[in-house]
Amino acid sequence: MDNLDYIESYFNEELTLEKKNEFEQRVIADPVFAEEIAFYLSSKQAIATVAKKQRERFKDVYTTYKQTAQKQQPSLVRKLWPWAAAAAILAGIAFGLNTWLRSPSSKELADKYVQENFQSLPVTMGNKEDSLQAGLRLYNANRLEEALNYFEKMASKDTSFFEAKKYAGIVSLRLEQYDKAIDYFSQLANYSQLYANPGKFYHALTFMKRNRPGDQQQAKILLEQVVQNDLEGRHFAQEWLKKW
Amino acid sequence: MPFQPTQNSFDRDLINNLLQDGIVRKKAEDQLFSQYAYFIEQAMQKYSFQEDEAFNVYADTVMAAITKITNRSFEERSSLKTWIYQIFHNKCVDLVRKRTTNKNSVNRSMAIPDMLLQMADTAKSVIQELMEKADKDLVAQKLKEVGENCRQLLLRWAEGLSDKEIAISMEYKTADVVKTSRLRCLEKLRQLYKKDKTNSIG
Repeated sequence: MDNLDYIESYFNEELTLEKKNEFEQRVIADPVFAEEIAFYLSSKQAIATVAKKQRERFKDVYTTYKQTAQKQQPSLVRKLWPWAAAAAILAGIAFGLNTWLRSPSSKELADKYVQENFQSLPVTMGNKEDSLQAGLRLYNANRLEEALNYFEKMASKDTSFFEAKKYAGIVSLRLEQYDKAIDYFSQLANYSQLYANPGKFYHALTFMKRNRPGDQQQAKILLEQVVQNDLEGRHFAQEWLKKW
Repeated sequence: MPFQPTQNSFDRDLINNLLQDGIVRKKAEDQLFSQYAYFIEQAMQKYSFQEDEAFNVYADTVMAAITKITNRSFEERSSLKTWIYQIFHNKCVDLVRKRTTNKNSVNRSMAIPDMLLQMADTAKSVIQELMEKADKDLVAQKLKEVGENCRQLLLRWAEGLSDKEIAISMEYKTADVVKTSRLRCLEKLRQLYKKDKTNSIG
């Protein structure tokens, strides 16, 4: 091994001129030493060939790999998939933000109001309380058709019975019989002697819920009148008009 | 909580096959190479390597990995992919540094004919004559018997890597350690070669 170190020093030109000459003289004089040098050089050549072959083998593997990879190259859809996914996420976020931030439509406002206020009705007291209560019980039991019959009969018997008209209107609204509801609420609105008359407000509410062409404009006009005349439902009307 | 190896069945099979001999090992080497060959393209994009450069780095990586697996110094603390990527990444960074400092070719050793150029004619003809008699196939054959670590050391040396480069690629502490180990390996090869040569003559 010492000789190998010495041999390497020679080929790496690390020896002085004197030592270099000495080395070359020894090559001629010492066959064993000369053979060691020959081995050093020829083994390096042989091993380099092995290394080259190994690398070439990997080159072949790489060529095969590339051919296979090309064959399996993703289609345009797969190539664009990451972009499509990103676009979908962005669209989702935009949609979410829009849904979250946008003002609810007037129909949605009306739906919410009906949901929160007309799911059940308080039982009222009065001279004709028995009939009203029976009607309200039917209403709260979700027997809406029967409730409507009750209230309509009461309203037709006594045209001044504004509460019967109010409830007939509400039940009609729940039953999505909007024309009927509008009729009852507009009649209710005409009772000028009432301290708190929600007729106009409910009338507007029915337009909002029906949502036919022109209904929204009509509803807006009615809500503005509710606000201007300080009628029942003014606070809701004010809030809704802000979001219009 | 003790560290749990993350090895999967693919890694396990591949490692087992690399520990075999002959065609099974050869196939496993090829499989290992193909498995993460896409690193080459990644390196071309990430480090702006030419394809040849990236290929050479990756081939070195695979060879280093095979050496470590076969001499059982792969501790299997991570998946094969993670481990190989780490080796590959280190080698890429090393190449980038070499390019930046322009030291890439400084330590490359000379080709054999060039090495003999400096020698006086008489001595040179002695060596050339002996070299012609040398059995290079036998050297290649005996190279398989020196042990995987020695084999890889000598392969890198023969390819012209400096001891410093070998130290980095094979994770030796210093170039001096590489030199000592390499010459010891070469001596081992010589003894194996000599023994066989003597037997064949006898």
